[in-house]
Amino acid sequence: MSEYEYIVEMRHITKRFPGIVANDDVTVRIRKGEIFALLGENGAGKSTLMSMLFGMYEPDEGEIWIRGEKVKITSPNHATRLNIGMVHQHFKLVSNYTIAENIIMGMEPVKKALGIFPMVDIKKANRDIRELSVRYGLEVEPEDVIENINVSTQQRVEILKMLYREAEILIFDEPTAVLTPQEIEFLLDIIRGLREDGKTIILITHKLEEIKQVADRCAILNRGKLIDVLDVATTSTRKMANLMVGREVNFQTGKKDAEFGEVVLDVQNLTVKNRDHFEVVKNVSFQVHAGEIFAIAGVSGNGQVEIADAIAGLAKASGGKIVLNGKDITQDSIRERSLQGISYIPEDRQNVGLVMDFSLSENLGLKNYHREPFSHRGILNKKEFDDYADRLIGEYDIRSSQGSRTVVRSMSGGNQQKAIIAREIEQENPLMIFVQPTRGLDIGAIENIHRQMIGERDKGRAVLLISLELDEIMNCADTIGVIYNGQIQKIADAKTLTTNEVGEFMMGVRQHG
Amino acid sequence: MNTVIIDGLSFALPLFIMAIGGIYSEKSGVTNLALEGLQGFGAFTGALAAVLVAGNFAGNSSVPFYIAMLFAVIGGTVFSLIHALLCIRFRANMVISGVVINILAMALTSFLTKQINAAVFGAASDKFVLGVSNRITVPGISAIPVLGAVFTNVYPFEIVIVIVAVIAWFVMYKTKFGLHLRACGDNPHAVDAAGIEVGRVRLAAVMVSGALSGLGGICFAYSISANFSNAIYVGYGYLAIAALIFGNWKILPTLGACLLFGFARSGGYRIVQLLAMPSSYQDLVMILPYALTLFLLIFFSKHNRSPRALGVIYDKGAR
Repeated sequence: MSEYEYIVEMRHITKRFPGIVANDDVTVRIRKGEIFALLGENGAGKSTLMSMLFGMYEPDEGEIWIRGEKVKITSPNHATRLNIGMVHQHFKLVSNYTIAENIIMGMEPVKKALGIFPMVDIKKANRDIRELSVRYGLEVEPEDVIENINVSTQQRVEILKMLYREAEILIFDEPTAVLTPQEIEFLLDIIRGLREDGKTIILITHKLEEIKQVADRCAILNRGKLIDVLDVATTSTRKMANLMVGREVNFQTGKKDAEFGEVVLDVQNLTVKNRDHFEVVKNVSFQVHAGEIFAIAGVSGNGQVEIADAIAGLAKASGGKIVLNGKDITQDSIRERSLQGISYIPEDRQNVGLVMDFSLSENLGLKNYHREPFSHRGILNKKEFDDYADRLIGEYDIRSSQGSRTVVRSMSGGNQQKAIIAREIEQENPLMIFVQPTRGLDIGAIENIHRQMIGERDKGRAVLLISLELDEIMNCADTIGVIYNGQIQKIADAKTLTTNEVGEFMMGVRQHG
Repeated sequence: MNTVIIDGLSFALPLFIMAIGGIYSEKSGVTNLALEGLQGFGAFTGALAAVLVAGNFAGNSSVPFYIAMLFAVIGGTVFSLIHALLCIRFRANMVISGVVINILAMALTSFLTKQINAAVFGAASDKFVLGVSNRITVPGISAIPVLGAVFTNVYPFEIVIVIVAVIAWFVMYKTKFGLHLRACGDNPHAVDAAGIEVGRVRLAAVMVSGALSGLGGICFAYSISANFSNAIYVGYGYLAIAALIFGNWKILPTLGACLLFGFARSGGYRIVQLLAMPSSYQDLVMILPYALTLFLLIFFSKHNRSPRALGVIYDKGAR
């Protein structure tokens, strides 16, 4: 067993996709029983590299060695046979199945009904999963259905799936992106426990804190190239950050003290029901002033997006009032609300924010097309669209291959988001709603969006920020409202709250205080 | 009362077995509007087999009937491969594929029926005449009031359908294959990650829907008209889809919906008879199940949930 020094070796790996080199001559060597982190921005090639180890792609060049033997990993099945497991960033769970059914799928225990008909032995599965979960301290109830359990439990199910398949090399792809600070602590404990158990762990992340806390060594990738492999204990966070981005990074977003003006948005006892007639927003009230960034913090799926949708008019309020600049807009249409002063940067930029197969210039004109000078008696004026688009492209640094004529689908996520933000800011509306504005973007783009958001605040606009990223909220918000289970748990001046306190409210651990 | 139950069951059960086929396909994520065409083509191959072998058996033999069933199942399965090929391999739009298969089946089978009648039997006819199926009455139990009707004048195919349905239920909810199949309709990525080929599971599911539709089709051919002709395409396939939607893509509730349709139809006929209405009013009764469908849609469409990945072509790369 111990003839090999490294359990995983990826030597001189190169992987090309059309138009991009995702991995360029990358070599990493991972020892048995260590926690090895892969650090890099979005698009740096971390996930691609690990996808090759998990058999989802094959490298164009280079070799993979597992336990001292050269292997060609052709499929995830093959990787599983080599005792490699992966928790994907987007969980791969069947939502209407129980935890046990999800874990055993593909490796079901079988018994014979009436002695002849082979059937899945679900009782044994439940028993096995319960034992397994107790053994690794990942307690779950095998008979719970996936759609009824929270994200962190779903993640535990994904980990159990690997352990059920007797994985020795565990790959975690951005595991903390969806978790609260407390859940992150718990996950990192689990990861440490797995190391104690002799497992080898590969952690893909762009969060330095986590690496500092658990990892033994860390490889830094930038634009597909391996920059360095570092000993975590002896390297400062700042150095890692600079290597990752390739330049000096500003951790704090510089921000003046807020000067609150009049109340712009007044939400009174808002209640929203989803399509199953279940109240997802319950009796929520808050106010946003001019010159204030009001952030709603909460774990995904606690009703925050529905609040934004109800204010913008995408969802119907089943109770309560929404008042904008003193006028009740609860019954107004989306167009009316937009004209009365709401800009909306939606969570789902591809489906709600943009028409993907329209050109950039058409997308930038989506809020204006019905007005002079963009259209005259119902006929669109293309030149006006293009001139307007060219101005915005310059001012907001929206990059695309063919300028205003570019089809939006072909643009990068960061530039798509820039286009939406440009369009919405240009409306010069008193209220701006940002929902998850930096999701999936890299550090540079995030910094930029934060600066713009704060800039709008300083111009005296009211900003409502809804985000799952606690760092973003702590960095930008003047006032924080924490939502849990459709109810606001706490509203307070951002300066009076710590990250941990917000985290506790997010999980409903602390009650109104 | 007894005729209502007897006729209702003989209509509801073929509908039910087709609906189970639809459930298989849709639970695996493949929208299947092709049930109508599959049952028609299945009935065609079954009927063709029956008329070809009929000469070798005595007039009252039931062997041609079982041969017809077997070939209907084969015919439906083969025809369903078109849908599977288009939807799974070539990633075509599932709705369009289904509708086109229905039109194709109707045109193709009526053309072939005429050609074969002319070429093989030397007769200019657009139908295959099938023998009348015998019926079974279980002695003893059939004497029980009301309930006994269930065991009176039963077509043999009803027994076959019940057995097949029980097997289909077991496979769907109790076996590995069923577990994989239902998972494909919710999150095919999870199935893929578990090392199971999504395409293969879906192929099998669509083939099951073809086989069961073929079975349903030949049963209709025997019970309703005792021949095969274009009259087989009167929308039973769509009615089966309506039944499985009302049944929320679950086998047992779907049985309830099929029974409702069956009894609505036979009950309607009975009323026309009792009121001694002119026979043209029977046509009015034919619309009963469909009118009922429209009415029930109002209540069911709100609460029923289709499989999450229904109609979504599986693409490994996409998330």
